[in-house]
Amino acid sequence: MRNLTHGIMAVLLLGCSSLLFAQSKYEYGPDSQPQEGVPQGEVTQYRWEKSKIFPGTQRDYWIYVPAQYDKSKPTSVMIFNDGGGYVRDNGHSRAPIVFDNLIAQGKMPVTIGIFINPGIIPAEQEGGKPRRNRSFEYDSLGDLYARFLIEELLPEIKKSYNLTESAEGRAICGLSSGGICAFTAAWERPDYFSKVVSYIGSFTNIRGGHVYPAVIRKTERKPIRVFLQEGSSDLDNLFGNWPLANEQMAAALKFAGYDYQFVMGTEGHSGRHGGTILPEILEWLWRDHPETLNANK
Amino acid sequence: MMKKCLFLLLICGGFCLPVDAQDLPISQIMIDGEGWELLSEGHQFTEGPAVNHKGEVFFTDVPTSEIFKIALDGKVTLFSEQANQTAGLIFGADGKLYGTSIGGKAIVQFDNAGKPTAITEGVNCNDLVVLADGDVFFTDHVDGKIWHVSPDGKLKEVAAGIAFPNGVIAWPDQRQLVVSDMKGASLWNFVIAADGSLKHQQPYSTMQLPVGSTESGADGMTVDSIGRLYVCTTLGVQVFDTQGRLSGILSKPQRAFLSNVTFGGPEMNYLYATSKDKVYRRKLKTTGVRFTR
Repeated sequence: MRNLTHGIMAVLLLGCSSLLFAQSKYEYGPDSQPQEGVPQGEVTQYRWEKSKIFPGTQRDYWIYVPAQYDKSKPTSVMIFNDGGGYVRDNGHSRAPIVFDNLIAQGKMPVTIGIFINPGIIPAEQEGGKPRRNRSFEYDSLGDLYARFLIEELLPEIKKSYNLTESAEGRAICGLSSGGICAFTAAWERPDYFSKVVSYIGSFTNIRGGHVYPAVIRKTERKPIRVFLQEGSSDLDNLFGNWPLANEQMAAALKFAGYDYQFVMGTEGHSGRHGGTILPEILEWLWRDHPETLNANK
Repeated sequence: MMKKCLFLLLICGGFCLPVDAQDLPISQIMIDGEGWELLSEGHQFTEGPAVNHKGEVFFTDVPTSEIFKIALDGKVTLFSEQANQTAGLIFGADGKLYGTSIGGKAIVQFDNAGKPTAITEGVNCNDLVVLADGDVFFTDHVDGKIWHVSPDGKLKEVAAGIAFPNGVIAWPDQRQLVVSDMKGASLWNFVIAADGSLKHQQPYSTMQLPVGSTESGADGMTVDSIGRLYVCTTLGVQVFDTQGRLSGILSKPQRAFLSNVTFGGPEMNYLYATSKDKVYRRKLKTTGVRFTR
């Protein structure tokens, strides 16, 4: 047994060591570390199995509630796709820690974080593999995922928390397919989401998302703010070339006059760079929110 | 120790991206110099390639009601002249050949002499799949429905509302069903419940369409051992990965309607294709699956 567990550990280490221990020039700053005296929010895990928009799906989600949350005040909200990776204190982004620090500093409003994993549709009978729904939910163009949030999950969360009713107070973030998903949600429902963050976004032809740069150029500008992070060593495969696709996105956003930021680093298909700059991203994203402006008067 | 392992898993989970970023380009299955090879010609409308336990492939010529067998040495012989316009064919885990007889409006089972016996009659049918436990699912393009025949012969409608359900296949684990829509762009997935009912219908994959068309022309399908899905369409054999994403399109063997594909040969590594008057095969770097236990 001991040998077996050693073996498992060795395999895990081999599989992950390149990412775990590789020298990265992207290091976590103080806003990504717990700071003494900064109030810590609470993270609670939930499960959602009642979707009608994605029938049969099961998924975990987490809600981060900042220590400053006041249930009498409509509160800003930020959605994280592939939420499990963002919510962990040892994950690529350490989002709850970053939220704690930035909210305490008045660099972002008091914001409830909602970290949602993609769904799976389990088999009914023994021995069956689940239908993994991540690509369908995240890579598909159209309003299905936005509707899943707006019509199903957020109303459930609103039963317990006082979430804002304004698009100005709603942001959505993701990486890879979760990145294009964040953009798609806001693109389809700019009345609902005004802020988008994408790390290493898959604006490639997984399910047709490569068309966005062309579509953005020919569509009347929508009231959304977009942060794009990408790495020059990112994927080049059958779906497309990630660095080029993100360059195209940035050029199209510029052409169409969007409020956007584009950061090209050197990492591959990893959340590391985006994760380490999450404090700066959030500060830029929320810079003119009334609560942020008030705090910095 | 197990706790340590879990801890490592958590750390890796934080840093390693989901395996979903991985891709299955069709270059992984194609072999240099191996293209479509003509096996049989002079037919009218070939369909229903089906592989038996030896790897021999049977196919039908729908208008002539003939069924042919392609031996492992490539020799083509007549198996049945009584197929009554059978379109879909598949071998069950019981070793018997099953078919959808359009002329007979029946799901039939053939004996070794090529004589059909109906297991369900009075149905519109197109293509079928027979799972290891004897469950039969077949498409009914006339009414846009999917039907189930239980191992004890009970017929039940299990899905409706698809424009033109044509091909039908199961995942290698036989726990999910896939139906192709010839008049649309979607491949519909269903979870198969123990009683044969279908749940959680979803347009899991979107096929590429010819420019200017809203119809895929999708027909027969097959799966390989890692779960790739192969779909005959107007544009060629569209290959999808296990997350329903289009991996690529294999060229059609000829500029004519491509009706169906199956894996065959002694090692199950040849893709057999029926296209109008001809039957072809090509070797791939993967293997097909039979729905056995």
